[in-house]
Amino acid sequence: MGLSPESRARFNLERASVLVLDESPMGMSILVQILTGFGVKTLHRCEKVEEAKETIAKVEVDLIVCDSMGAGGEGYDFVSWLRTSKIEPNCYAPVLLTSGHTPSHAVQKARDCGAHFIMAKPLTPIAVLERIIWIAREGRRFVECDTYVGPDRRFKNDGVPAGMTGRRRDDLQGDIGEAQSPNMDQEVIDSLMKTRRVEL
Amino acid sequence: MSSVRIHTPPVKLAKLLRTPGGLPVAEAVQRAGAGLAGLKNDCLGELTTMLDQAEACALRAGADYDAALTGELYDIVAKPIGVPSVCGLAAIDTALISLSDLLDYLKGQQRWDANAVAVHLRACRLLLQTEGAADAAGTQAILAGLRKVSQRYARPE
Repeated sequence: MGLSPESRARFNLERASVLVLDESPMGMSILVQILTGFGVKTLHRCEKVEEAKETIAKVEVDLIVCDSMGAGGEGYDFVSWLRTSKIEPNCYAPVLLTSGHTPSHAVQKARDCGAHFIMAKPLTPIAVLERIIWIAREGRRFVECDTYVGPDRRFKNDGVPAGMTGRRRDDLQGDIGEAQSPNMDQEVIDSLMKTRRVEL
Repeated sequence: MSSVRIHTPPVKLAKLLRTPGGLPVAEAVQRAGAGLAGLKNDCLGELTTMLDQAEACALRAGADYDAALTGELYDIVAKPIGVPSVCGLAAIDTALISLSDLLDYLKGQQRWDANAVAVHLRACRLLLQTEGAADAAGTQAILAGLRKVSQRYARPE
């Protein structure tokens, strides 16, 4: 995506209600400094999962920034709980998960918890902003089934994995030939496909 | 076959981001950076405390693998990942990630390597004391060495 730190493009997070979940005081301070720098005024700071659950039940949030929280991955469990909580509209809120280190036994949890994006620490302001703008994009589908509730993990449109048969009606079948030219950027493809209002 | 529901919920955040007013990206990033710079002293203090705790924990280790101690040390060193970069000490983040990898591998294989852990902790202490003042090539050589040590225990995919 490549958002330039020198960009003069404007964005507005002043009216966004953001929940931050991080058990480490320093981790929390870093996120708070980044988000307040972006103009966020309503921050719900939670150091424990229980506090975050209570906040989700009480107030509407527009964005959740959540740490994976240790080897046990309590942060992943929180996101799984959120997605299946049926507390609307919060259960559909964009979730940015941050993680310092993901131990091998937690990799599957991290992948399947239902977060919109997982960011590896260390965090930089430009990377966080880029991801917030990215996860806020409209039109990302939400999948709800027995084993997974969360945003569609197939957001790259890479098609069916090699050697497998697609499970969806809109999966393309058959062999595809070698590329004749470099791939188009996903942003360009999206902009070509998106319906736009025409003004005459 | 289980039922699958696919739908597109509205994203309020998208509308909020487009609301008139707000900040230019450049100003927002600069403000966030200034806020982070104000945390530098606290971050350095937290790193020193973490290293003290990690060294004390590693000293309690015996010759054999101890699941509880390995888990405790992992929690101590993995938690502050991301903090050193706020103080301009990104090399310590890399060293902490390497040590976290090492401890995760050791835990998976139920093994203990006191020397491998000690060399990581000594490198972190050195990088913290020099505050990144050491030459870049020297720092990169230290980090490459640590990576080699931790990757010795990585299982082949």
